[in-house]
Amino acid sequence: MLVFAASDKGGTGRSVTSANLAYHRALAGDDVCYLDFDFGSPTAAAVFDVPDARQAAEDRGLHSYLIGEAAEPARIDVWSDTEHRVLRTRPPGSGRLVLMPGDVSGGEFATTDDNLRRCVDLLLRLNSEFDLIIVDLSAGRSYAVDMVLEATSLREMSGVEARWLVFHRWTRQHVAAAASLVFGKRGIVAGGVARGHDEEALRNVIRFVRAAVPDPESALWSQVSPTQSAWMRECDRDLKQLASTQGIGYSLVLGSVPLEPVLQWREQLITDEDVLDSQIANRETWDALSELAGRLTDDKFWEQP
Amino acid sequence: MRVLALSAPLVLACGEVRTCLLPSFQALDGRAAAQLLRLRADELVRVSERPNLYALSPDVLTGVDCRLPTSNGTKVRAVGTVAARAALTEGRVLQATAYFSAPAGGPDTRRPWGHYLVRPGLVEPFGKLPEQATAEGVLRGGGRGELDLGMISEGLLAQLLRHPLLDHKAPFKSRRTHLRWAARRAPEGEGPSLERFTLAENGLRTVSLRLPENTPAAAAAGLCEDLALHDWLLTTVVHMLDNSRLGAADGPSAVLALRPAVDHLLHLWMPRAHVDHTLGHLWDVLEREPGFTRQWQTLVQRIRDQLAVQAVPLLHKALSTR
Repeated sequence: MLVFAASDKGGTGRSVTSANLAYHRALAGDDVCYLDFDFGSPTAAAVFDVPDARQAAEDRGLHSYLIGEAAEPARIDVWSDTEHRVLRTRPPGSGRLVLMPGDVSGGEFATTDDNLRRCVDLLLRLNSEFDLIIVDLSAGRSYAVDMVLEATSLREMSGVEARWLVFHRWTRQHVAAAASLVFGKRGIVAGGVARGHDEEALRNVIRFVRAAVPDPESALWSQVSPTQSAWMRECDRDLKQLASTQGIGYSLVLGSVPLEPVLQWREQLITDEDVLDSQIANRETWDALSELAGRLTDDKFWEQP
Repeated sequence: MRVLALSAPLVLACGEVRTCLLPSFQALDGRAAAQLLRLRADELVRVSERPNLYALSPDVLTGVDCRLPTSNGTKVRAVGTVAARAALTEGRVLQATAYFSAPAGGPDTRRPWGHYLVRPGLVEPFGKLPEQATAEGVLRGGGRGELDLGMISEGLLAQLLRHPLLDHKAPFKSRRTHLRWAARRAPEGEGPSLERFTLAENGLRTVSLRLPENTPAAAAAGLCEDLALHDWLLTTVVHMLDNSRLGAADGPSAVLALRPAVDHLLHLWMPRAHVDHTLGHLWDVLEREPGFTRQWQTLVQRIRDQLAVQAVPLLHKALSTR
């Protein structure tokens, strides 16, 4: 299955969250491939802590492959190449975790027939090899978004299941922007329909992920004053109302990831050691990521709302 | 294929085979296989049904004018055509091969294309061909600007995978393998021999051969496709057994994970089925060490034993509820 990770703006935690989802699925035994299609600013190498990826991505990254300069994009085996102390020990029963880095110097580019064909070839090939392929797309209505919308509209790809995750932060601007990225005049749905996607079918494979959501009930905020607490609850309620009127209400949300300092500051994978031993990350975050990872392929969460 | 008499004898043949599961829910029958592999309108696909269903496409040519990969950095420009072909075994395993042969030397200038076009699958070096360095270079893989057989075979494979016959709903996930081979000429009076078969990381395998002068490159390609097919079967079933977590996972789920092997792979083992009879005995080397068929039989036995073990309680239950 293909999962496209999109976001309205930068800084939504799209890359770090989707990388964590890839990690959770691999832990559960799936063979997972993570593609860094964030051509403007590839970050996956840092998230997975694989310095080698920078080297490999110098001239053999996804960008070079798509524009025809590299015969095959570089692959990084995260379990064996990471410098992360915990990740280096591949847990028994886990699946493969492969990163395809973007190019360090790669910018955006137009979708030509050749680029598109190479994109389709790559996705088809990975689909026959991996249980789950997570494609991290650049923020906004980028070329990367256009390219995969175009690719998935083609007959060759019709047998490959694809789903979309749209990440947004839990703020007024982000909620509105996420809704417009998907349902706006120049949004993903409109862009998909223009390329021959069936509107209803496309809508049914798009779900939202609320990132960096402060939970007023969490222990993190238990020390705040009653006024603050009441205000937080009110904001949260207003945001829920706003999301619902914008058409991205509860039924379209696949999950939420709590506000988590480790995700915000370190931008890395959260391991069970971070939660259990050093306890720098919150248990809730681990659970939320784990739940989200499970829901990716749980059809119950992808039924028509 | 017609090959014109050449002034210089051929001293080297090289190729790369990519092997993968056909991404289709059902295996293709002979007719569909012929349709898939119809790469040229003017030549037929060869389909044989005995001893197993096997379809072989006609060769398609790619014109090349670039440096040959060499292990010692020698820069040799070469011009000619690389042949590529695809094979489908039992409608299940798809292979694409790119290969060429080369004479010991050639003129220092490029000739008109007509000259190269009547010599399909032949690449002529400018000056003398560093045989050993080129053979090693091909096995190591071409760098930027060098002849890259992997790119040509991958291109053919990608083209086939876009065919409308394929639904991309393969019954299980599997990795591709690529096998690079290089065959230098055997010393006068000696028969063909297999010098080395190695397994490298990331699904790469290399084969070094020695072949008598009159062995066509297509026959060598056929042998290497056969080796690649069986190596892929071993690799894939071993991976499947690893992933099934036999012993750790509870019975039914382990068996479920092995089911695709029974449905789609176990009947494919048939070394030498379509190998040129002068080269078939090269398999003996691999049967002795490391023992391809021996390993395969152990795997098959293990899978069948598991199925049997899982069946016992069911039988027991069925009898006790009577």
